[in-house]
Amino acid sequence: MSAQNKSTGLAEALNGGAGGAPLSRKSESLWADAARRLLRNRAAILGGVIVILLLLTAIFAPFIAPRTFAEQVLVDNNVVPSWVPRVFPSMRDYARISGDYLLGADYVGRDLFSRIIYGTRISLTVALIGPLISLLIGVTFGSISGYFGGRVDNLMMRIVDVLYGFPGLLFIILLMAFFRGTLSQPEPGTFAYTMSEIDRRMGGMFFIFIGIGLTAWETMARLTRGQVLSVREKEFIEAAHTIGAGNLRIMFRHILPNIVGPLVVSETLTIPSYISTEAFLSFIGLGVNPPTPSWGAMISDGSAVVRSYPNQTIFPALALAITMFAFNFLGDGLRDALDPRLRGTQ
Amino acid sequence: MGRYIVRRLLWMLVVLLALSAITFFLMHAVPGGPFDREKALPPEIIANLEQRYHLDEPLLQQYARYLYDVFIPHLSRTPPGRSLMDDHLININLRVGGLWLKWMNFGPSYHSLSRTVNDIFRQQLPISAQLGTMALCVALIIGVPMGIMAALKQNTIFDYVGMSVAIFGVSVPVIILGPILVWIFGVELRWLPVTGWGASPPYILGFLPRPSVEFFRYAAMPSVALGLGSSAIIARLTRASLLQVIREDYIRTARAKGLAERVVIVRHALKNSLIPVVTILGPMFAALVTGTFVTETIFGIPGMGRYFVTSITNRDYPVIMGTILLYAVFLVVANLVVDIVYAYLDPRIRYT
Amino acid sequence: MRTKLFAVASLLVVAALALTACQPAGTPIVQTVIVGGTPMVVTATPAPPPAGPKVLHLNMGPGDIPTIDPALSTDTSSVQIVEETTVGLTRQNEETTALEPGMATSWDISEDGLVYTFHLRNDVPWVRYNAVTGEVEQVMDCSEEPQPRIVNAYDFEYGILRTLNPATASEYAYVLAFAIAGAADYNAGVITDTTQVGVRAVDTYTLEITFNEPAAYNANIAGMWVAHAQPRWLIEGDDCTEGQGDRWTETGFFQGYGPYTLKEWVHDYYITLVRNPFWPGSDNIPQAAIDEINWVMLDEVPAFAEFEAGNLDVAGVPSAELDRVRADPELSQLLVIAPVLCTYYYGFNTQAPIVNDVRVRRALSMAIDRQALIDNVLKGGQEPAQWFSRPGLAGAPTMADHPDLGVHFDPEAARASLQEYLDETGQTADQLNITLMFNTSSGHQRIAEAIQQMWAENLGINVQLTNQEWAVYLDTIKDPVATPQIWRLGWCQDYPDANNFIREVFAVGGSANPNGAGGGGVGWENPVFEELVVQAAREQDPAARVELYAQAEQILVYEDAVMIPLYWYTRNTLTRPYVTRTFSVLGGLEHIEKWDIAPH
Repeated sequence: MSAQNKSTGLAEALNGGAGGAPLSRKSESLWADAARRLLRNRAAILGGVIVILLLLTAIFAPFIAPRTFAEQVLVDNNVVPSWVPRVFPSMRDYARISGDYLLGADYVGRDLFSRIIYGTRISLTVALIGPLISLLIGVTFGSISGYFGGRVDNLMMRIVDVLYGFPGLLFIILLMAFFRGTLSQPEPGTFAYTMSEIDRRMGGMFFIFIGIGLTAWETMARLTRGQVLSVREKEFIEAAHTIGAGNLRIMFRHILPNIVGPLVVSETLTIPSYISTEAFLSFIGLGVNPPTPSWGAMISDGSAVVRSYPNQTIFPALALAITMFAFNFLGDGLRDALDPRLRGTQ
Repeated sequence: MGRYIVRRLLWMLVVLLALSAITFFLMHAVPGGPFDREKALPPEIIANLEQRYHLDEPLLQQYARYLYDVFIPHLSRTPPGRSLMDDHLININLRVGGLWLKWMNFGPSYHSLSRTVNDIFRQQLPISAQLGTMALCVALIIGVPMGIMAALKQNTIFDYVGMSVAIFGVSVPVIILGPILVWIFGVELRWLPVTGWGASPPYILGFLPRPSVEFFRYAAMPSVALGLGSSAIIARLTRASLLQVIREDYIRTARAKGLAERVVIVRHALKNSLIPVVTILGPMFAALVTGTFVTETIFGIPGMGRYFVTSITNRDYPVIMGTILLYAVFLVVANLVVDIVYAYLDPRIRYT
Repeated sequence: MRTKLFAVASLLVVAALALTACQPAGTPIVQTVIVGGTPMVVTATPAPPPAGPKVLHLNMGPGDIPTIDPALSTDTSSVQIVEETTVGLTRQNEETTALEPGMATSWDISEDGLVYTFHLRNDVPWVRYNAVTGEVEQVMDCSEEPQPRIVNAYDFEYGILRTLNPATASEYAYVLAFAIAGAADYNAGVITDTTQVGVRAVDTYTLEITFNEPAAYNANIAGMWVAHAQPRWLIEGDDCTEGQGDRWTETGFFQGYGPYTLKEWVHDYYITLVRNPFWPGSDNIPQAAIDEINWVMLDEVPAFAEFEAGNLDVAGVPSAELDRVRADPELSQLLVIAPVLCTYYYGFNTQAPIVNDVRVRRALSMAIDRQALIDNVLKGGQEPAQWFSRPGLAGAPTMADHPDLGVHFDPEAARASLQEYLDETGQTADQLNITLMFNTSSGHQRIAEAIQQMWAENLGINVQLTNQEWAVYLDTIKDPVATPQIWRLGWCQDYPDANNFIREVFAVGGSANPNGAGGGGVGWENPVFEELVVQAAREQDPAARVELYAQAEQILVYEDAVMIPLYWYTRNTLTRPYVTRTFSVLGGLEHIEKWDIAPH
């Protein structure tokens, strides 16, 4: 890749440059160049701003939310603000109006708006941890597999096959049985006790990480492998070999930047699946315990009343969609910014 | 290539054996058994049940018995009959000495007492496969064109709107989209059936439905609900990949040669840009076929997704084992097909 | 170009679908017509479709019916089919729970109360549905001039013995094994000679059963589905019939003799029963009026959608939709709230820390506003439970005659009770570490969350919630060591008597108290309580029985506060106005031969 860039630059210089670019150019590092290009991408900036806002919401939730997430007013169950029945006219017959709740209340009278705000914490954590695990493990695995090919590739991909088919649900039930609830008073010093302590310290998120870690990286590994397979045959890789570059250097300095595009995009797209994994885990008892809110759990709770009180599921889903937008445009911007072939261009 | 395929299929056997061992011992390690009831059964009854299903034997012996039944073809004098314990997927009459060659007996279901796992495969797997295929078609029909258009008109309104729609598609899970579709098209407008499936045996080639309007009417909403999320992924991936490929040198060369833009895109760019898309098609198809639980519940479709999840709750061991092995076969074959298609799409990829 | 082609093609497909799915037949057409210069709105209703067979569309609930073999049936959906396609010696009325004759028109009881001689009717043939002719036909025997096979005592003898046969591995065999002489040994494999089991066909239409005890419920047990007649020739085969073994209940093979028989069963999808014209009918089991019953197997939410779309005749209302249904002018007319003989409760592990003190338990129980829970969370017209054995069971106290029995919402008394404990141990309420466990389900979670809040507000105690998958949960709450401090369960009747509730659940050895003081479940032993329930089981005078059970309940829910009764179940059902029906109290087991459909 670098070989290609050099030849283009030379050609430009010799020909006086396309469009009259000066012969001497200020040399920029990869990161400065990337940052400049990123900042020009309006959509990416919007995405970035939203992500920062979400982070701030998560951190300052107790100050922003009008109520706590656990506060129940039973008689206010399922109330809606006055503007909701105007949007969904079929609700007029039975919906009870209350001005106290910005977005309405859920089935036990908890404020939806506050719960969405607090839910930012869980969902953002999941949204960040998931891709982290997936990229770390999956990209490494897939790169090694695709790069070395042959027997190594075969063996590693067969391991991925086994893990694809792995009965995750069974395994999770097993975890749940051993580490939660069964041992309401586990003996200190046993493995089970240590595990539940870690879980408690992490606010109930430990098993979510395990659950996501189990499922997150296999697709990424295969995707990476596919990309590596197609890129490794290119001439510039051959060139790099010829000049004596080591395997590791080739993998990280040459191959990776070229394939990072589809990888990042694919990863940002799988964020909802992490959130739904988390919702599913919470539902079967391995996630955060009620009443701690998470968007995934709110969406699946709300799906039971989607006919009667659509606001209970639509608003968390909107929050999720906005988060998705933000991550996607940001991810796109990052990919464009980091693309070495665009280097030196607008 | 032929040798490569054979080698992969042999590896598939290894994968299946490994999975069967993991699942079997995991399954028995999880607390709770198939005969746990709220009001506990008397020990004599449990003894009878365990004897019937060989659950009173040592674990390794049960596992060995399972391997023998499922993986090893064996000869038998008795023709295939009505017993639940002796139902094989493949029965070949050798016509010599009254011998039959039987293979793949996944066992009886512990919960559905008049069915074997093979029955479930024969009757309900085709339905999940049909649903998955239809969902994949929806995903491709919507996703690929949208991605191409967004890539070609990058950073214009088409791009932003198209990708926004894609993001919405991913953010709205089936569990919300399904009931909404049912509400609008099934209950209010009554254009489409609310629940059910429009195909029944006999199937062509074992799983294809006979094409009919009924089939498409029943399949419409579930396929859309299931496929919409995947279409978004395909759209995004197509767009990203096509953008990357368009900037390659050989595309510049093709344009420089004076070829029409359409030819450049379709003949040169598309094939290579589809590689990442094809990569995920394999596991996506397998995931769609196996992950239909929520869709099947919402739309009342008698597929395997519902069965699999309830079999875990019921600790219906043969169904759990059989389904996991079956899904594994799906995944491995899907990945194999994907790898073969790789080689076709990109001649530079070689398998050593 | 290709993109555009795709777009156009897709539009065409959608359009085609929409066109084919247009207006269903039979809907009125409203038009504005000019008559003599004045516009008039005319509603033209097309002629009603020709009268076809009366078909009832019901929902069985999610998941396939496990079996319809009488010997193997355990759950309500299986028993529903068995009860329609075969008839027992005796039968329980689904509305009054009284015992009625079935296939046996009368029975004699010996002096010692152990030997029952049943006299069977002789005019009921075995039938099957012939898919080729589309008719129900009688099953013929193997003689030279084939005669219809008539249900006789040998069929019942075979049925009972087959259920008890250890090779059949029937779950409910334990009921017969418990009651019938020699049956337990046979079922356990101790003896193999069936003549030693207390079932004997004296002659073709006389069946003699010998029981172990002179109990009042012997005749009930003789009528249970596991003791229905079964067709030996179909299961094992004979000269003119191919034996179908385990598959004899499948479509195309099934043979029965009740008011309905099996027409078609597509697993995990639907099951259809068709009227049996050869069922002669009796006073309490009439000939069926409805020609076909079709059950689909849907989850509650899609089933309700189908009802609203007009494709189901009866449906349950998901609790989330109750608000909307009650406000809807049309649907609210169709809603019936019927009692169900079940109780929802939380149990205490009386040996676990903190809840081992009765004052804490009583405080927790009295701090729950059950009515608010029902009004705001459940919304199904349930009744707040003040004790365990649901009113309506034989022997159970009722709200009418015992309005102050048991436990009810009293936050002041609850706080006082808790304060005593806190003072003694020198703690504050928020220091108490208590866990409530339930099996994974959104319904249980809602109730638990509301109650968690009530405890926080009324007592200042923060209870942790946790849940587990069902099978694991069942193990956990019976385990002597692992049982959590508070756990949730419900109990429904096996037979409509308070004995089935309070004694079979909470007495030592009961389902929620497996080891008494040895731990597991409630882990509780109270000799006064034990004595009361044993005495009540034997007591013949109904009024005295109720008093005994009332005393036992008071100990259970107030004095020892071993469990928290929460609510007594009800059923919310929507039924189309053209269906005339009965409402069973037997946990949803209906007798559909008594229903009818009016033309509509």
